[in-house]
Amino acid sequence: MSEKELQEFLSVCNVYKGFGEGDSRQEVLRGMDFQVRKGEFCVLLGPSGSGKSTLLNIIGGIDSADDGYISIAGDKLRDMDEKALTRYRRKHLGYVFQLYNLIPNLNVKENIEVGAYLSDDPLDIDELLNTLGLWDHRYKLPNQLSGGQQQRTSIGRAIVKNPDILLCDEPTGALDYNTSKEILKLIEDVNQKYGNTVIMVTHNNAIQDMADHVIKLRDGVVRKNIVNENKISAVDLDW
Amino acid sequence: MRDPINKRILRDLAKEWKRYLVLFLLMSFMIGIASGMFVANGSMLKAFDDSYTKYSMEDGHFILKEEATEELLEDMPDNIDIYEQFFKEVPEVTDGNEDAVVRVFRIREDLNIACENEGRLPETEDEIAIDRMHANNVGVGIGDTITVSGKDFTIVGLIALPDYSTLFKKNSDIMFNAIDFDVALLTDSAWDDLNGNITYEYAFRYDETPASDKIQKEWGDDLVEKIAVIAATGGYTDNKDEAEELADNVDEWTALLENIDETTSMEDISEAMDNLEALEPYGDNENELTDFVPRYANQAIQFAPEDFGSDVAMMGVLVYVFIAVLAFVFAITTSNTITNEAAVIGTLRATGYTRGELIRYYMMMPVIITVLSAVLGNILGYTAFKDTVVSMYYNSYSLITYETVWNPNAFINTTLIPLVVMTAVNLFVIVRKMRLSPLKFLRRDLSTSKRKKAMRLPRFRFLNRFRLRILLQNIGGYIVLFFGISFVMLLLAFSVGLPETLDHYKETMTEELISEYQYILKDYKDEDGSIITTDNSDAEIFSMENLVTTDGVNVGEGITVYGVTDDSSYIDADLPEDGVLISSAYGTKFGLKEGDTIVLKEKYADKTYEFTVRGIYNYTGGLGIFMKNDMFNDVFDLEEGSFSGFFSSSKISDIDEDMIYTVITKEDIMSLSTQLDHSMGSYMDYVSIACLLIGILVIYLLTKLIIEKNAGSISMVKVLGYENSEINSLYVNLTSAVVIVFAFVSAFLSIYGLTFIFKIIMCSMSGWFDIYISFKGILKMVGILLVSYFIVSFFDVQRIKKIPLTDALKNVE
Repeated sequence: MSEKELQEFLSVCNVYKGFGEGDSRQEVLRGMDFQVRKGEFCVLLGPSGSGKSTLLNIIGGIDSADDGYISIAGDKLRDMDEKALTRYRRKHLGYVFQLYNLIPNLNVKENIEVGAYLSDDPLDIDELLNTLGLWDHRYKLPNQLSGGQQQRTSIGRAIVKNPDILLCDEPTGALDYNTSKEILKLIEDVNQKYGNTVIMVTHNNAIQDMADHVIKLRDGVVRKNIVNENKISAVDLDW
Repeated sequence: MRDPINKRILRDLAKEWKRYLVLFLLMSFMIGIASGMFVANGSMLKAFDDSYTKYSMEDGHFILKEEATEELLEDMPDNIDIYEQFFKEVPEVTDGNEDAVVRVFRIREDLNIACENEGRLPETEDEIAIDRMHANNVGVGIGDTITVSGKDFTIVGLIALPDYSTLFKKNSDIMFNAIDFDVALLTDSAWDDLNGNITYEYAFRYDETPASDKIQKEWGDDLVEKIAVIAATGGYTDNKDEAEELADNVDEWTALLENIDETTSMEDISEAMDNLEALEPYGDNENELTDFVPRYANQAIQFAPEDFGSDVAMMGVLVYVFIAVLAFVFAITTSNTITNEAAVIGTLRATGYTRGELIRYYMMMPVIITVLSAVLGNILGYTAFKDTVVSMYYNSYSLITYETVWNPNAFINTTLIPLVVMTAVNLFVIVRKMRLSPLKFLRRDLSTSKRKKAMRLPRFRFLNRFRLRILLQNIGGYIVLFFGISFVMLLLAFSVGLPETLDHYKETMTEELISEYQYILKDYKDEDGSIITTDNSDAEIFSMENLVTTDGVNVGEGITVYGVTDDSSYIDADLPEDGVLISSAYGTKFGLKEGDTIVLKEKYADKTYEFTVRGIYNYTGGLGIFMKNDMFNDVFDLEEGSFSGFFSSSKISDIDEDMIYTVITKEDIMSLSTQLDHSMGSYMDYVSIACLLIGILVIYLLTKLIIEKNAGSISMVKVLGYENSEINSLYVNLTSAVVIVFAFVSAFLSIYGLTFIFKIIMCSMSGWFDIYISFKGILKMVGILLVSYFIVSFFDVQRIKKIPLTDALKNVE
């Protein structure tokens, strides 16, 4: 991959997206434009309704732009049909949601295996369980776990296939302060250990300090595009 | 790596084991019954086919007036082997039955060999073996004593004779009678000693097995003529013309010898005497053929196997409807699961799971349960249920023993088709559901329609508006509930409607009959050539012929062709000059209307007849066509003025019994319904119970769906302070009202469905009658469904009670 490609691993080019029709139509994204480098920890920061989740879904290939395009390593998502999009998600993406969405009757290890199944070259599950601090809980069902443990499991499921991009939609939104910091630390570790590009959507301003790249959104446009030269570790975050 | 999601299957099964167990048992039970019926049928038919060689079944038999001399038998046609099968028809007295007649044979060794169902053949003079079914009917068994022609015999064997699988006393009888008629075997010496007139019956087999019924008919026609001539001429010739010439000559010679006068030449006298002398040996062999029954036309042999088919047709359709209902239940269950797991599915799709992988997973459960049910059902079908069906057949017919044989038809109907139906219905529902985007799943927004604005409601009381709002909000769920109830109702209509239809048919048969009695004569002229008449003022001549259809929904179905008088008081219609009227049953079944042309043919010959339909005559009692008697005689090349017999509303007593071939009465015409009632009727109670269970299951699943969907709102109104009774009045009472309305609507709709299905069934069988369900029957169907619902509503109330208040506070994305 050339230096330029590294720099523009993920390009969001003039993306528009609206919902509804007629008078009730609402433009959520209005010409969104930025690039993310490979291996970067990027935070999309903004208040409710700023369009950050919509943008994440478009990057994830589960929603589409009305105009403009997203390209990953030069491949434009808008040129992909549904099958190609599924392949793209399968091969390149890991997803972490606010509400973990684990399969209730599979245990921790099996939930992670669900992610591993999608990859030709998954990470070692036992090693990952240790990294996630879930080794002792690996045979527990989701309902026997705390919120933090469930989110760790969902992160495990997302990264076990070693995706190029890890998309996190408010991963700490349902967690308390301490657990949130643990989860953020975990995502930071994963980013550093495996080199995945992380794109995290949050409305928590404090999280921007741990990112390489911060994109502040409001009313569907990029208000600020900041490269954070002085990032700090997740453990040092405070809010 | 195997898809780890599949590990869920066993856990899902364990979690919802009660639901799956009920579905599994219901399906196994139904497949079992159907498989039992198919297997029993197939095995019995195979046994029938094999009995031709295994028990050396006859190709036909004939009866002579006297015992045939050896010379006569030697002169019989070369292409048959003849076996003596003399019998004595004598009274039989058992404890329960004083009026029976038993046809007693010697033990057969070469032809029509007895199948020993129980016990053995008689070995001593006081032992007897009797028909197994008759024994069952009159309540006697091995070791019991019966009195036959005044002599006591001990029953040592219960048998089935291959030429009496159905106990028809006369081949012209329309129904068999296994209570008042019996067949039995005695040892030679016991038979010789038995008091009674001997009937000289001879059974025969062709040297070469006839390949078809048609060939049997051709050979039989030829044979009957030859045997009649051979018997009449004492073996002099088998040629009818030659026989007639001989008869003329004999008359001439006899007349010459009786009227000798001076003009008679000595030469003529001596020639006549020589000729008559030469014929003397034949005179010793002279005999008379009194009956001839080829196998293809022998009801005692053919009736049972032909009857088996109707049960299978009926059962097949019932299984398909049943499986469709269960497939629907499964599809709803799976659809419900998908709704509940929407977020997980969305996540999996977002991380790259393909739609196909998820569809495969959700398809697994219905397929696994169906396969397991088919396995258990078939095991039951080949064992317990087959025995039940077989015993049902054994209760109707004197059947030989059989061996269970593998039946590909059963496999297709009870395993392949259910699997295909289950797969198709579930695939349709799951694929439709999975078509939604991952984002919709993640947002738990699984509605395919666009959200509409809230509808303005009339100014009802608040609670009524609330109920109406719930109804509108859950309209999808209630539509599904309506479909579910309609399916159950269709099954109920089947179980309630079939017995009712048969009863109704029997009740209205008297009105439907053309006449109380139909006397069919052997010939319309008596031995003296005078036309047979009666003084009975009710009697009216008619002609009748049986043809079969050549096209349409059921090729080869028997159609009765009637020729009636112009001013008939039994057929109230203006008969056309240049065409025919068809019975409404024929018209409905074959979809015929005025102006159509119908082509019928003789059953065992190729001659066809073409008729133009000039109208429909309202007669549902049978498939028939009506024309003027003159036209009838013309069409069938009969003498002018000839006829087949008399319609009469009262008994005719002034016609010589010998001239009557048979009398058709109400009971005879009802044979189809009687048979169906006998075989299918007993099942319908079980089907009703199964319907009740399915009703409970379907309504339980569907109302559960509605309540679960509203759990959040229910929880919220609980938080607001509504009491359980108020919540029940909102949700349960609304559902109750809806179910009651649905029950009535679907009951009426199901009758249309059943009429359609019944038509398909009837098209695959001989005969016709319309489905009939009384208003009482409809109430019964609605009643059963409502009982199902009220049982379920008890669980619904409990379910609502259990919804926690915290549900309302859950964070739903």
